[in-house]
Parts: sequence; structure tokens; C-alpha cells
Amino acid sequence: MANQGEIEVREKEAVKQEGTRAGLSFRPDVDIVESAEEYLVCADLPGVDEGGVSVELHEDELSIDARLSVEPESAWRPLHREYRLGGYQRRFRLSDRIDAERISAEMRDGVLTLHLPKAARHRPRQIEVRSGGG
Amino acid sequence: MAIYGFSSPGWGDSWQPFDELRRELGALMDDWGARASRGARAGVFPPVNLYETEREYVLTAEVPGLRGEDLDVTLDGQRLTLRGERRIDAPAENVSVHRRERQAGVFHRTVALPENVDREKVEATYRHGVLVVRIPKPAAQQPRRIAIRASE
Repeated sequence: MANQGEIEVREKEAVKQEGTRAGLSFRPDVDIVESAEEYLVCADLPGVDEGGVSVELHEDELSIDARLSVEPESAWRPLHREYRLGGYQRRFRLSDRIDAERISAEMRDGVLTLHLPKAARHRPRQIEVRSGGG
Repeated sequence: MAIYGFSSPGWGDSWQPFDELRRELGALMDDWGARASRGARAGVFPPVNLYETEREYVLTAEVPGLRGEDLDVTLDGQRLTLRGERRIDAPAENVSVHRRERQAGVFHRTVALPENVDREKVEATYRHGVLVVRIPKPAAQQPRRIAIRASE
């Protein structure tokens, strides 16, 4: 996978949220990859620390909600603004059952990494085919 | 590399020619056809916000997922340069990719601050994916408290 291109500037996408939290929320960029054993979800949540993100799994729906931990100080007067600030929100429906006990979530440098192991009975089972003999 | 001047009101007017050139190059260089181009807009990554207080300028940029050595901030007179590389691990083999929205790659951006600043006192921190650069204003620009002496 090419890693050497220049990064493109994209507008943040605001979500209309009905919720109890005031303020703007944006739809974070995510990568979702599915293997036989798990879903791996990585989300860019710059400005968020581990205390500011909530990950919930309800039946087959995964929700990510985050608020900023790194914010402009009240004394800072804006001179020029190229990007907007706000929390993040995204929801996914996963097709396989997840073993909630074994979910792992890590926040580092504004990136959320989620390992969602599939429940055992939903993992593809390799069935050994033996020869019928003769 | 594009250079942006921060001196308003004509902020941004001076970089139009550079912007045109970069869009042309972008069309030739872009080989990431599968990537969703959600609201792509002209500009050099990363977008920055600039603030000021009485004593300093503060520049912020959202650059998640960088390791310390992949980010470089330099100041030369009036020009602040941000340079780095965002790496993302390639997916393992035998996986289905359901979403691939995050971008990896290099970035290199120089911004012109509103005035010459003292590079010795610049402080840059990187916390939770946000770069914050604090640039003290030259002493002459800071408000000076004038002591009032009692008259006899």
C-alpha cells in the first residue's frame, strides 16, 4: 500500500446529532478491516484522550462517541481558522457477533484502535476433509 | 510546498498561484483512486488555526497518529515549517477491508507568521494527536506595564 503520497486536505463532516451533548460533532475517518478472528477498527480522533472517548456495543451496533480533551484556551483570540473543532461520533452495524468480554480499545496520539474479536461460534471453522479411502 | 501569509485582510490572496500549481500536480500524482474523496478542498495539509494572546501567537494543527520522530517543526525568522510523515500499517493478508478512509503520507507546509519572532523561545508540543506551537511575540510588541511614581 503506497504510503508516500501527499496527504490531501478534506473538510470535516459535521453530524447532525440528537443527543444531550451540546456542541458540534464530526464524523471521524475510520479504517475497518475484518479477518476470520476479529474486526479491527481504527479511528482518527485528534484531540481526544482515553478519558474522552466512549465505545459501546449494543447487539450488533458499535458506537463511538468522543469529546475533545485538547481545546483552545479561553485567552486565545482566533486570528485565522482553517479547521473546525468539535467532538466525534460514528456508528456501525457489524455483521458478526462480537465477544464483548475480549474487546480491547486503546487511544494513542489521537488514534483509537479497537480489536473486536468475533464470538467463537461465528468464526469460520475449517473442516478437515479426509479422503474416503480406497 | 506552499507558503501562506497570515497577514490579513488579504490573507490567502498571495497563495493563489501556488494553490493552482499544487492542484495540477495533485491530479498527476494521485494514485489513490479507491479513497473516498469526501469534500476534498484545496490547501496544504495540515490545516492550521492561529490564535494570539497579548504575549504570544499559538498555532494548532490536528495530525493524529504521528510518532515523535515523524514530526518536525522549524522556525526561520517569520516562517514556521511543519514537516512529517503519517504512517499507517498495511492491512494483514486474508482480510476484508470494509473502510479505508484514513490517509497516510508525507506533509510539508510553511506558514508565514504575522511578524518576525524569536525562535529561541518557541515551544512545540504534541498531545493526543494535536500539535500546539507557542510563539512568544517580540518583547517590543508585548504590553509594557508602566510604573507610576508618586509625585511629591
